[in-house]
Amino acid sequence: MLYVQLIADGVVTGCAIGLVAVSFAYFYATTGIFHVAHAGIYTLCGYIAWYLTGLGIPFILALIASILCGALVGMFVQVTLYQTLENKGASPLVKLIASIGVLTTLQNIVAIFFTPNIVQFDLPWRLNSLTIGGVWFSVPQILILLSSVGLFAAVVLFSKYSKLGKRIRAVASNPGLAEITHLNPQRVFVYVIAISSGLVAVPGVLVGVDQALQPYTSLIILLTAVIAMIAGGIGSLGGAFVMSIVLAVIQSLSVAFVSGRWSIAVVFAIFVLFILIRPEGLVRRKFSRAI
Amino acid sequence: MTLEARNLVAGYGDKSILEKVSFNLADGEILAFFGHNGAGKSTTLKAVLGLLPAKEGQILLDGERIEHLTVSARLKRGLRLLPEGKGVFPDLNVQDSIEIVSQSNRDPNGAKISADDVYDLLPVLRDRRKTIAGEMSGGQQQMLAFGLALLGSPKCVLLEEPSVGLQPDLVEELFGKMSDICKKLSISAILVEHKIASAMKIADHVMIINSGKLVFNGSKAEAEQINLWNYF
Ligand SMILES: Nc1ncnc2c1ncn2[C@@H]1O[C@H](COP(=O)(O)OP(=O)(O)OP(=O)(O)O)[C@@H](O)[C@H]1O
Ligand SMILES: [Mg+2]
Repeated sequence: MLYVQLIADGVVTGCAIGLVAVSFAYFYATTGIFHVAHAGIYTLCGYIAWYLTGLGIPFILALIASILCGALVGMFVQVTLYQTLENKGASPLVKLIASIGVLTTLQNIVAIFFTPNIVQFDLPWRLNSLTIGGVWFSVPQILILLSSVGLFAAVVLFSKYSKLGKRIRAVASNPGLAEITHLNPQRVFVYVIAISSGLVAVPGVLVGVDQALQPYTSLIILLTAVIAMIAGGIGSLGGAFVMSIVLAVIQSLSVAFVSGRWSIAVVFAIFVLFILIRPEGLVRRKFSRAI
Repeated sequence: MTLEARNLVAGYGDKSILEKVSFNLADGEILAFFGHNGAGKSTTLKAVLGLLPAKEGQILLDGERIEHLTVSARLKRGLRLLPEGKGVFPDLNVQDSIEIVSQSNRDPNGAKISADDVYDLLPVLRDRRKTIAGEMSGGQQQMLAFGLALLGSPKCVLLEEPSVGLQPDLVEELFGKMSDICKKLSISAILVEHKIASAMKIADHVMIINSGKLVFNGSKAEAEQINLWNYF
């Protein structure tokens, strides 16, 4: 039974990381920018919701507000930073370093304007739980599960069937042609970062509700998400989501065998194995930047 | 006069490739543009569309200077480019590609060339509507690329070797249709081609570039009097 509980916890964590991975991968596949600051937006959104609920604003409104703030901050970063660097012909490495700068800034903004401390949401229902088939879930865990699966499915359907989703895939698969057929790649990038940042706000808030908020730990979550993206096959949103769950379950189960301090190392060990055995990722894709 | 270049200089970085290139092209005319590999044909087309800055000289579209405009602004004014290779979105199927490109090139006064026109021009595409572009043959991809370059209301299309990868009878057919469209909708075209005989059949004017300099610029009749190969 312990294993079943560990697996269930792993699946929940994996779903949250899965949304981080999917939103990161969506932006990365479209723009080629390694947007580390994504982790900063994740943190910022959690604190915004925490602050708003602290003012007595209903949780659902606080969540929506933080999604909107996340989207706006993302768009701001794209327009003021990435686009400017792109216009100057900056290399991907320069953009990565700039992104690390944004991450640090966002973390500091959180620490200065909100609090540098670990905080918990003051919501009575966050400690409620229910038992399904002998497996224990907290209410926030249920929310994470439902919202992650729902949003993942929504992104996949959006990408496949909506007009904007198709336009984003077009830009991702051939940016040069997108420019000369007037698809306006720079504007598409703004839409994509808004979608990605809005998405990442959801795990940012819900994981905070389930556990606690800390200004400086989101990079580890992003790291796991990036590993899942690579192992899942860059450009495959499904691969990124499934691999996030697989990694989180393994990490969760590993606690039964090795000390908890090693669980991150376990993830990296799996990653190294993956790179050696199946370098093209779980889902083989023909086009490196296709979604 | 649809398109005019005056003493155009362009190149890569500090290096200039084009040496004061001047030409003009009237409504509905097709200009065949020849030259050896590396002569500067693609460079000329890129400078006209704005993918490369004009270092000197002027580019005019319908009498208005456009050399300072962005690519997007030039596209809006009706310039189009069929690029050298890589002219499709490998991840999208034919129908979706045509749909999104025709949307992004909408014309409030009604597009000259709609998705249906492209399907009529290139019937293969209609049969392949649901095929992922990246999984089509080279020739089929080239036809899709050609279709994408025409959507909307082009005034002047810059075609980089549209015949690449197409079987010979299709080249003749496509060029024939192309010429009809240009005349009917008064769209002008610059046709960069290595298949000189095929291009000559539909050309109104001929231009030859050699190492960045225009060495021949004349009417089709004049071009037929001379041995074009002397200019390569
Ligand atoms: N990206 C680039 N950077 C630097 N130089 C370039 C670049 N592209 C082309 N050149 C140079 O510019 C010159 C003209 O090239 P261009 O591509 O215009 O030739 P072309 O006439 O289109 O040839 P082809 O028939 O082979 O397509 C060549 O000498 C080439 O070496
Ligand atoms: Mg060329």
